[in-house]
Amino acid sequence: MAGYDIATNPLNRHENLFALTEVVHIASLALSAGMIALVDFSLLGVGWRGESAAKLERSTRLWTIAGLTAMVTSGLALFSTDPARYFYSPTFRVKMALLLAAILWNYTAHRLAMRGQPTQLTAAAGAISLALWASTIFGGLFFAFTPGGY
Amino acid sequence: MSVGDWCLAVRHTEFFTSVRESAILYPTVLALHLTCIAIFGGMILATDLRLLGLAFTKTPLATVIGSMRQWKQAGFVVMVACGVLLAGSKLDQYYVNPYFVAKLLLLCAVGAHGILFRAVYRSPKQADPSLRAKAAGSLSLLLWLGVLACGRWIAYWDAPDAIARLFDQFPPL
Repeated sequence: MAGYDIATNPLNRHENLFALTEVVHIASLALSAGMIALVDFSLLGVGWRGESAAKLERSTRLWTIAGLTAMVTSGLALFSTDPARYFYSPTFRVKMALLLAAILWNYTAHRLAMRGQPTQLTAAAGAISLALWASTIFGGLFFAFTPGGY
Repeated sequence: MSVGDWCLAVRHTEFFTSVRESAILYPTVLALHLTCIAIFGGMILATDLRLLGLAFTKTPLATVIGSMRQWKQAGFVVMVACGVLLAGSKLDQYYVNPYFVAKLLLLCAVGAHGILFRAVYRSPKQADPSLRAKAAGSLSLLLWLGVLACGRWIAYWDAPDAIARLFDQFPPL
């Protein structure tokens, strides 16, 4: 980005602010992915006793959105510390693709799976959601360990 | 043998050396640690929010706590196992790190919290959360956020500089 000097970014000037943003990023990940995982476990048939996946989804909806908003916002703040390094990293691009897939899956197939009776297909929807979120986290971690990462 | 020597010996065992030097295993263990924080930490968060009366208010407290207990316990075991692998492979650096020590102390506090509020978790009331339940939820939330924050700050503590600053402040006689 022309005219943008990353050295002026407050997160690059104050190490503690960077670390705090990372803590917010991980805590909001726990809130969003954690709430989605509750629904996933329910779709897999190992959820809360007497609670349907649809009811759990309604109870977690606002918390999930709050978590996703905080996670994306803190993620953008971290991205702004060195956009070129993140943008050109293949591992980071994989992470972003997985994140996008996880969010899209959550609001499409995941929702559809909750409408009918539990079947092997609805269980698969839960398993795929869990796998997408875990892969996103793995992508983020492996980015830190690839050349051009941290 | 001093604690420092022992930690160095642990770091240099064949097992922990192979964990540390593996280009795949070390980040995999770290990623698994974080995945457990996200999924099972999310369950702890859900329980705390229910104890505080902020979420799942239409679901009985006993259902929220009872349905997730085994998953949280399993997740905790995996999370700790990964933590041991990560800490052991760099134990000589970690044992002097104040954030690592604080993280361990906070995990002990989490254990004490479980004992102190055992009644809240073992026989939860069906009605609105009591003051004791709210105290249990908020304290758990604070402790786990503290564990998370200390865990992240471990990476930002620069041992040689910090020790150098200490020597500047208190020069050896």
